[in-house]
Parts: sequence; C-alpha cells; structure tokens
Amino acid sequence: MARANASRFRFNPPGWFLLLPAVLFLIAFFVLPLVDDGLRSIRADDGSLTLARYVAILSDRFYLGVIVETVALSSAVTVICVLIGYPVAYHLVRRAGCWSALIVFLLIAPLLTSIIMRTFGWQVLFARRGLINTLLVQDLGLLEQPLRILNTPGLAIAALVHVLVPFMVLSIAAVLQGIDQRLEEGAQVLGASRWRTFVEITLPLSLDGIGTGAILVFMIANGSFVTLALLGGGFQTLPLFIFQQFNTTRDFGMASTMSTVLLVIAMACLYLQLRLVRRQGI
Amino acid sequence: MGGFLLSLFVVAFFAFMLAPIVVVVVISFTSAGYAAFPIPGWSLRWFYRIWEYPPFVDAMITSVQVAVLATVLSCVLAIPAALYLTRARSGWADGVTTFLLSPLSVPMIVIGFSSLFFLTWIGIGISFTALVITHTVACLPYVLRTVTAVHRAVPPAYEEAAAILGAGRWATFREVTLPLIRPGIAAGALFSFLTSFDNLPISFFFGSAQTNTLPVVMLSYIENQFDPSIAALSTLQLLLAVICLLAADRIYGIEKMTVAA
Repeated sequence: MARANASRFRFNPPGWFLLLPAVLFLIAFFVLPLVDDGLRSIRADDGSLTLARYVAILSDRFYLGVIVETVALSSAVTVICVLIGYPVAYHLVRRAGCWSALIVFLLIAPLLTSIIMRTFGWQVLFARRGLINTLLVQDLGLLEQPLRILNTPGLAIAALVHVLVPFMVLSIAAVLQGIDQRLEEGAQVLGASRWRTFVEITLPLSLDGIGTGAILVFMIANGSFVTLALLGGGFQTLPLFIFQQFNTTRDFGMASTMSTVLLVIAMACLYLQLRLVRRQGI
Repeated sequence: MGGFLLSLFVVAFFAFMLAPIVVVVVISFTSAGYAAFPIPGWSLRWFYRIWEYPPFVDAMITSVQVAVLATVLSCVLAIPAALYLTRARSGWADGVTTFLLSPLSVPMIVIGFSSLFFLTWIGIGISFTALVITHTVACLPYVLRTVTAVHRAVPPAYEEAAAILGAGRWATFREVTLPLIRPGIAAGALFSFLTSFDNLPISFFFGSAQTNTLPVVMLSYIENQFDPSIAALSTLQLLLAVICLLAADRIYGIEKMTVAA
C-alpha cells in the first residue's frame, strides 16, 4: 500500500506548496487591483506621474473635509458603541447567568440580517406617519407636528451603532470573561464600594477588550456605505464620495485617490489591531 | 438599585436592537398595499408578489449561484493553506496568515471599485466570473479562520500516526484530517455563503441585467418603491440565515463562532 502510493506520487512537493493556491489567488485578485488603484491615483490624464490629486486633497477644504468627516463620524460611533456596549457586556458576563445564551443569540441575530432590512425597518419606524410619530402626535398628544427624523444625522448614527455595537459587546465580553473574579471580591472584602471596585479593578483590566472592539468598530465604520447611502443624514464620507465620483462625476482618478486614502486608514487600523493582539498574547 | 438599572438598560438595548428587525418581519405579512406599522391585517400576498416579479427571482438565482461557487472556491483555496499554517509555527507563517485574513480589514467598497477596473483591464470585466472571483476574495478569510481554529485543536499525533503506518499525504488527509476538520469547513462554508449572499458593496460595481445579485436589485427597488415586497424578501433572507446559524451551532458550537466572527 505504502509502496504503491510512493511510486504513484513521484513528485513530492514541500509543505508550503499548500499555501500557493490561496496566496497566488489573493495576489492576483486582491493585491494587484489595489496596487492598480494606487497607480491610477498618481497617473495624470496624459499618462505622466503626478501627485496633484494628493496635493488637492490636502489643500482643498472640501476633500479634506470628507476625510475629516469620515474619521470624526467613525470616532463618534465608536465612542457611543463603547458607552452602550460596555454595560451590556458586563451584564452578559457577570449577571445574566442562565440568560446569557439568549443574550448571545440576540446579539448574533442582527448580524445575520441584511443592511437593507434594517434600513427599511428604520424608515418604517421613523417615517413622517410612522409608528413613532403616530405615537407622539396622535396617541400621546405630546407633539403638535410630527418630528422629522428620517435623513437626520442622529438616525444615521443610530443605524450605524445598531450595525456595529454587537462587535463591541462581544469583544468586551471576551476579555471580561477572562478577569479573575477573586480580584474584584478581594477589593470588596477590603472595603471598596462596588463602584470603586469597578473603576479601579474591572475597568482597567478590561481596557484591552475596549481597545480591540474600538479598532474593529472604527475600521468597519470607516468603510460602511449602505447605511449612509440609504439613510442619508447629510454625511459626506469616503465611501459615499468614492461611489459618487464613480457613479455621477465619473472622475475615476479622484475616486482612486480617495479609495487609496481609505485603504491606508484601514491598514493603519489593521496594524494597531495586530499590535494589540500580539500584546495580549492570543 | 444599580443592578436593576443595569437590567433595565439591557432590556432597552435589546428593544433597540430588535425593533427594526421585528417591524420588517411583521410588515412582510401585511395585507395592506403599503409598508406601514402596525399592519391592518395578515396575509401572504407579498411573498407571492416576490415570485411574480421576475427581477427578484432572477437575482435570487444569481445570488445563490455566486454564493455557492465563491464558497466552493474559498474552500478549495483556504483549506490546504489552513492545514499548512496551523502546523507551521514560524514568524513568516504568522505573516502569511495575516495576509490571507487581510481582505476582512479592507473596506468592501475599495475591493469592489479597484477590482472593477483591474478585472476589466485583464478582460474579465462585468461578468458572472468577476462576481465569483471578487466574492471569493471576501469569503476566503472566513473559511481560513474556522478551519484553522478547528485544525489547531486536532493533536498532530493523529496525522503522524497515520503517516508512520504508511499512509501517504493524500490518504492521511482523506482518512484522518478531513473527518476531523469537517465541522470547521462546514461553519466556514456557511459563513462564506451568508457573506456572499448578503454582499452589496462589491456586487453593485458588477451589476448588469445578467449579473445583478439580490441585494443589488433590492437596493434599486427600494430607491423607487416603498412596498412590503422588500420586507418579504428580507424575512426570507433572515430565515435562511437563522437556519444556517442553527446548523452551524449544531456542528460547530455557537461560542466558537463568536470568536471566529
């Protein structure tokens, strides 16, 4: 049996041959397109090389504004996700007990729904004659006029938080789970209040989880497109700009420049993520 | 008191998380001709409407075909790489793993936009093939992750024992490794299928009458009409995803999936 096999497989490649299909595929269809994209951003219409578009980005207030707005929006969404996600993660790990399986399921379920579905849901809830406005104006009589909620920055931010907060909760919960509870008990035995125990023991020990979750959320927020495209909010971010330049303006050079900027931001996040993971020794 | 407030906060949180989803599921069963909540009565008319609207059906077929092919291709490419990378614990192997996972970190719109120009340049252009290739780029990391996670838990001794007893590499893989890593492959394939099926930011760059996927058609539909057929489609899609999740939980374990996701 062994001999038969040995004679059939005369060509005996080294183990790393197993990597070749995946590596070559990604070089051909992932790396090369991105390199091509970068080259398009520095090629002038007559074919010569130019940095004019990058100069334009750094000197033009509109272009610079798009980049600043992208980063500012993602940062705001990240901070909100930490503030909302931390208590939920804490509850999940420390309090939920037999409910934790249900909570995990409820966290994962929204991840499985399409962005279009959730956006549709928000539009129905917050339409001029939607559920919320009907409640406020007709049923409760709190308001004279229906609120204009669709196409406001607030709803766009809420929808982004809705998409991203599960990632934050799961990242924080993973780290909270690993904290030795005896440290907290020890602090309380020594007379620290619950709040002080949390601020001085639990919170510092869970900073890595917040960091991991924050980078992940920030990274996905930077690239998110469908939510903002459908819910508006008046934001002008890099993905929306790329789409507009591609679809309407048809200035492919500028779209490539902005997509290269977005790529560089994403790579910086990936670098931070790797450093954080290495430090945790996972 | 603090504990009560925390519980209240968590309940409010899940109300926020579930509200838009529940609303859409309910609306998909409305008897009304418009999308509004609460609904006046129950019916299945919008599910019938999906089947009577050819663009939805065509797009659904395209989406399933692309998702299946991209998943198969992802498995073919990622499984051999995962098998090597779990056993090679050197510095450069970590680098290769990072590289193979890096499509997860690049915004999809960047992948879609740059692929459109590159694939057109090499002659593939806007086509079914282009959809499968670009979706594979996005799906491959998921298969790599789950297979690596499962294979790492398999003691190398099993494979060594098979080799000592005279099994060749292929026989060892087929008889020993493959049965052991099957849960990882299944979970990775399910993730990959769902990722591809739901993908919009890559697919719309490759949209044409023959290559429109379901999310692309839904997006263009929602921009013009606001009727409950989108809700019915979303409900079907959610049902598919829940079935996949429950299947993955049975064969792989939900906790491991949250780590893998």
